Amino acid sequence: MSDSRHRLRSLLAITYLNGVVPIRTQPLYLVNILASPLSFLFFIVIASHGVFLPEAVGGGMILMMLSMGTSVQTDMTHYRQDLKFQDVMVASPIEAPIYVAGLALSELVYALPGLFVFLLIWIAEGWANPQSALVLTGVLLLSWAFASALGFTLATYFEDVRETFVFSPLISLALSVLPPVYYPITALPAMWRPLAYLSPTTYAADLIHGAMGLGAPPLLAAGIDWLVLIAFTVALVVLAAYKARWREP
Amino acid sequence: MSAAIEARGLSKRYAKGREAALSEVSLSIPPGAVYGLIGRNGAGKTTFIRICATQLLPSAGDLRVLGFDVRGEERKIRERIACVPQESRPLYFLNVWELVYLYLKMRGLDAVESRRRTTNVLDELGLSEVKGTLVNRLSGGMRRRAMVAMVLASDAEILFLDEPTTGLDPIARREVWGAIRRASREKRTVLLTTHYLDEAEALSARLALLEKGRLLLEGPPSELRGRVRLPYRVTVQGSFLPSELERFGQVSDVEGGHLVFAQEGAARELAMLALSRGAKVSMGPVSLEDIFMEVVGRSIEDDAPAAEAT
Repeated sequence: MSDSRHRLRSLLAITYLNGVVPIRTQPLYLVNILASPLSFLFFIVIASHGVFLPEAVGGGMILMMLSMGTSVQTDMTHYRQDLKFQDVMVASPIEAPIYVAGLALSELVYALPGLFVFLLIWIAEGWANPQSALVLTGVLLLSWAFASALGFTLATYFEDVRETFVFSPLISLALSVLPPVYYPITALPAMWRPLAYLSPTTYAADLIHGAMGLGAPPLLAAGIDWLVLIAFTVALVVLAAYKARWREP
Repeated sequence: MSAAIEARGLSKRYAKGREAALSEVSLSIPPGAVYGLIGRNGAGKTTFIRICATQLLPSAGDLRVLGFDVRGEERKIRERIACVPQESRPLYFLNVWELVYLYLKMRGLDAVESRRRTTNVLDELGLSEVKGTLVNRLSGGMRRRAMVAMVLASDAEILFLDEPTTGLDPIARREVWGAIRRASREKRTVLLTTHYLDEAEALSARLALLEKGRLLLEGPPSELRGRVRLPYRVTVQGSFLPSELERFGQVSDVEGGHLVFAQEGAARELAMLALSRGAKVSMGPVSLEDIFMEVVGRSIEDDAPAAEAT
């Protein structure tokens, strides 16, 4: 498939197939993806007596984007190993990036109700303004892109869908629970803070918290946050493009 | 006319130290007909079809599909092929219509063309009545037929069908055969793998027999009979001792009598002798199962794996 119109059709068809049709048979998919972020939000707000509400809202939105990645990972492994759907796709004009992008976009459909809930809180708390909207959109898109690329890369190596049940919580722990996504980095002991900067979500959270007025990072620091976040995303997308196994060796 | 698929010395080894799943296979698949690949489990059929369908890289040798090299020109190949992999299942949340229609959309066809092709293929394969039914509520045969309909509706020049009827009951198998015959009528190339010999014989214009990754026999089913040493089978019941029959050919016991594989002249002589003694006798050319037994030395139903990988 060489022309871009064909690619777009292909992309939209995959998005519709994996993002809209399943909801018709099981509407609870829409609620499922909300479960973890809302649980964290609830727990953190209760435990901090509302003090960490902004961090919990920002963190919840980042966790939702990471959940997209783990969903891509599970769907792809299931489709490849159990249904042989990926083999059907490989032996067709559908290109690997279109397949991944379609699945990743379809996961966004599931995230819409959750994002809606968080955006309502965002607006109700008075954090919404043009600048914060831009930052939020950019950070969430980048988080969605790197999480999906990571999910795709891992999925092409898994031999069984049960392996994703092992990796998904680990990824979630490493990228959203341990780094300062749900809490300010200042809550970490100083000796642990450098470690937090190994996670791209630390930079994402820093930018979102800044957009919410939680001690916005200085201009230089914000620039570095964007740079690192973009670099992580590009690296993972390139890794997905080169290392992921579309055709088996 | 140039070959649809041309393999030269094609080999595949999944890992060092493991037996080769395919070993120097050379064959030429003509365009516009059903080509059957037969062999026991693990013979290398799936490995061959997966390399042709650009899902798997070969270890050595050359393979060209529609004139394009599977190494480096896979995009050009993928635009022209469609595949129903072994043990593949449709996405459970789709109905039959969506399965076909969305597959065509994913392949880049526009909505009008996709709708037209979907309607046509469902009508032709008798699936229109279940078009709104979720695929996981269909019988196994209907589900496989829907998968075949999906690739049949595409504009692919070559269809790869890897064991499309495995596990289906005889009626369901016939339903899938109808779909494959439809592709054949359209002069599309179909590469079919199966371990049902009756299926291979009923559908294929040419056959290749694989065992332990090696190509043992290749040609039209009618010609394959001429390649075996003893091309006739005679079954006699009563009034013969096995020792009496040995001069005619290769003798084995069957229920209530003896089966003799023989040359044509010897087969006729034995048949006449049996008739003169009033024994029950039947004579005919060997079946594909007989050929398989003679060439491979064991039945295709023998479940012991032929190699480590399929």
